[in-house]
Amino acid sequence: METFLSLLVGNTLTRLVFFPTVAAIPLFFLARAQAKVAKVYSLVVSLIEVLFGGMYLFSHLGADGTFPLVHDGGGAFSWIPGFGIRYDMAMDGISMPLVMLGILLLPIVLLGSWKGIEKHWPLFGASMLLLTTGVLGTLVAYDLFLFYVFWEVMLVPMYLLIGIWGGERRIYAAVKFFLYTMAGSLLMLIAILWMAWTFKNLNGGVWSFAYTDLLRLDLPVHQQIWLFAAFALTFAIKVPMFPLHTWLPDAHVEAPTGGSVILAGILLKLGTYGFVRFAIPLFPHATEAAKPLLLTLAIVGIIYGALVAWVQADMKKLVAYSSIAHLGFVMLGLLALDAIAWQGSLLQMVNHGLSTGALFLLVGMLYDRRHTKKFDEFGGLAKVMPVFAFFLVFSSLASVGLPALNGFVGEFMILIGSFRTLGWVPVAIATFGVVLAAIYLLKMVQLTIWGPITKDENKTLTDLNGRELAALIPLCVLMLWIGVAPNTFLKPSRQALDGVLADYRGRVSVPSVTQAALRAPAAQVSSNTTTEAGR
Amino acid sequence: MNRADWMLLLPEIVLCGGGVLVLMLDAISPALRRAFTAISLLTTIVAAWAVYWVTPGHTVTGAGATFHGLLETSPTTAAFSYVILIATGLCLLASQGYLRRERILSGEYHALLLWCATGLLLMLRATELLTVFLSLELLSLCLYSLAAYHRRLAISGEAAIKYFLMGAFVSAFVLYGIALVYGATGTTRFAEIGAALAGQPTVPVFATLGFLMLIAGFGFKMSLVPFHAWSPDTYQGAPSPFVAFLSVAPKVASALVLYRLLGAVVQGGGGVGAGKWSAVVAILSVLSMVVGNLLALVQRDLKRMLAYSGIAHMGYLLLALVTLDRSSLMPVIVYLLAYALMNAGAFTVVALLYSRPGEQHLISDLAGWGYRYPLLGGCLTVCMLSLGGIPPTIGFLGKYVVFLKAVGDGHVGLAITGVLASLVGVFYYLRIVYFLYMKPETRQPEGLLIDVWGRTAAVVAALGTLALGIWPTGLLQWLIAATTAK
Repeated sequence: METFLSLLVGNTLTRLVFFPTVAAIPLFFLARAQAKVAKVYSLVVSLIEVLFGGMYLFSHLGADGTFPLVHDGGGAFSWIPGFGIRYDMAMDGISMPLVMLGILLLPIVLLGSWKGIEKHWPLFGASMLLLTTGVLGTLVAYDLFLFYVFWEVMLVPMYLLIGIWGGERRIYAAVKFFLYTMAGSLLMLIAILWMAWTFKNLNGGVWSFAYTDLLRLDLPVHQQIWLFAAFALTFAIKVPMFPLHTWLPDAHVEAPTGGSVILAGILLKLGTYGFVRFAIPLFPHATEAAKPLLLTLAIVGIIYGALVAWVQADMKKLVAYSSIAHLGFVMLGLLALDAIAWQGSLLQMVNHGLSTGALFLLVGMLYDRRHTKKFDEFGGLAKVMPVFAFFLVFSSLASVGLPALNGFVGEFMILIGSFRTLGWVPVAIATFGVVLAAIYLLKMVQLTIWGPITKDENKTLTDLNGRELAALIPLCVLMLWIGVAPNTFLKPSRQALDGVLADYRGRVSVPSVTQAALRAPAAQVSSNTTTEAGR
Repeated sequence: MNRADWMLLLPEIVLCGGGVLVLMLDAISPALRRAFTAISLLTTIVAAWAVYWVTPGHTVTGAGATFHGLLETSPTTAAFSYVILIATGLCLLASQGYLRRERILSGEYHALLLWCATGLLLMLRATELLTVFLSLELLSLCLYSLAAYHRRLAISGEAAIKYFLMGAFVSAFVLYGIALVYGATGTTRFAEIGAALAGQPTVPVFATLGFLMLIAGFGFKMSLVPFHAWSPDTYQGAPSPFVAFLSVAPKVASALVLYRLLGAVVQGGGGVGAGKWSAVVAILSVLSMVVGNLLALVQRDLKRMLAYSGIAHMGYLLLALVTLDRSSLMPVIVYLLAYALMNAGAFTVVALLYSRPGEQHLISDLAGWGYRYPLLGGCLTVCMLSLGGIPPTIGFLGKYVVFLKAVGDGHVGLAITGVLASLVGVFYYLRIVYFLYMKPETRQPEGLLIDVWGRTAAVVAALGTLALGIWPTGLLQWLIAATTAK
């Protein structure tokens, strides 16, 4: 407890993760009427969180632009000693970009929800802050039990976000979101328990849920496949991969703007992050076995998402389905198991958070003004809202993958990397997906802002105000920055990604152990026993 | 029987005496009725202290067994006793407002409740079947009376009658089971039963029959499927704050008795017999999980829903008993503690927010009240999330230790059944949150009496649920030590 408190006040991940929760407590004591106070308070908290994020980043970023793995407080602390469950938070180059994205999105989301959220602001602010804790915790947890706890903690605030402030079918969407995610994660819990138990049996009765310990657990391939299935199902639901995606359009369409931005911006990335961090490194042989299936699903997702997005009459649905296609790209890059593709995938996770987040914000801003998201209600908005039109075009082009903007770098790297390891067939199909993306996003741009103004209501629309610009500009600056100087963003992650890949290749190059030959995981176990003694 | 024996009986004496005191005060000066909750609560706290004091390691005598070995005093029984006393305390806190609102505040309620606790404490310390039966009867008679306590309400009487008829049947079952086991083994002591059976080539059929009857009896008290039929009706009709006790405390003691019973059987039956009894427990567990959750899904009455969910929870609990060994106890007690806190918390809020005990407690009546009663709504939400097994609550921790035990014993299939069943559970627990926060209000509060006692109970339960879920370190260490020390 003392350790935790001392970590909480230092420049640590603990502070980064738990500050929003601690700061959310006063919000529970605000009455319903104090919306203004709640808004300002949440925004201030989120800006402090951004400050903390920047402080942490710059105190650990190496001079050469690399980002080393840093454990909070120098190592793991015992949390539930009877089961070897430890409080172990660490951030490396893989989680760093996503953590920073998650932190950055928080004030942007609050700004974007300023007008759109009309009731129960204290609860809204608290939900957002708690959600941030869940998301960040999931990204930095280095103990599988801790990871699972954070993974589940995310669900409740998101359920509230969709269910309280959502659209007409919000309850259906909220429950569907919750149950889909929970279904996967409960099976993952069983898999985690099974691994911990196996570890204990092979390791002389010492429990451990530590990531580094379980990573050394070499299991027979048939066991790996079952465990991989449980993990992959969880993460595939979250990504979401075709055909487990059906919760996503519902959740997106019904969620309020802020919810959609968080959902697309960071929550979906936790699925792909889960593959990079857990499913693939923990079960390399199973990954090899499941690769054809997952690859097929990823490519189907790219094409399917794009085609369905094309025919939508609702802007938000279009962006939602485009997420499925974009995340399909990320999965393709991950399954290529290639250094360049992996870097591209990680970058693309960030890119998608930025550009899709911006698109959802823009749709929300339009919705705040007109209370509709249908294409046929708009047209010619460039004349009355030129600034809005600029940002819509900018974000759409970033999402399409126009060179000099961020989407291009990510997609290009994914395609190159995939070409090296997967051959030309998947790459050709995926490239076709890029073409489709151009079609549907430009269709959205064309139908909303070009052409004559067809509706009288649209003639009096006001352009973006300062608050809305404040939400959009950081995103667009980053899109451009990543587009022109991607190396700054690739460098911190390269080492960590290469390490995971090298380890993966090393393990698949030898056949997995047989059941009879199961033995104690040799490496790094000693760290476990020392921490147990040292607590 | 000497002085040391009586000293070890101190917790029960305190509880029993507290009950008598309240009853006498009620007769002498009814004006004191408002103070009964405080007196009873004090009694409970003193009893908890007494449990601490008599537990080996804290007492001068240090003896484990009392009254020629009829009663056991060990860290394990102490841990279970605490859970029961926590449930008693929460129920007492929740009751004050309810009893005043319904104008049925009198000393009998508190006295009966304290005597229930007495019976339960005796039951989980009993090391032989007849003592178990005697304490079971002491407990049951008090429970029947309490279920009928709201005497102006027909539904309360109906609840009690249903409970009584079934309960009387079950008592007969238990007694007959004891007789059969005694006939087959010549003893009623758990330890000697195991030893007697181990000496025989096969388990006699009479003993098997007797054990089945005993399992049925305690399965009834734990409301396991197929012995569960009484619980929804009884919960619905009985006074809500009392259900906070009824739905928790008897299950706590019964679970320990079931553990001892199965321990005797498994010890006696050897490898083959143990497999069969494992199968029996596994079947009860799966049935309870599946039936409980599915029926809870379709309930519109909150109390009935919680009754069915309680059935499901006992199903999860049994997962830890499928393969019986010393390590079964820790998951069981953690789960029971979790269940006691979250279920008592939920029923406390029900008692405070529903003002017409004779009618249905519709879930939809709570619509929008999360904003009207932020504190109680928040407590109910925490309890529901905990019942659903969502971290960071103790409900999650309970599920975690139980599933860990099941997976470790190789019952992965059972564990998967468990998680799928709990997925169904999540759905109906979320419905409460949905009504609390996502629906517009449909009714105005009328006739509610939300007093500080009730609020305290709800907050203690909810905070305990959260705090022990986030920081279980000390609790788990203590429980592991308590359940492994003999």
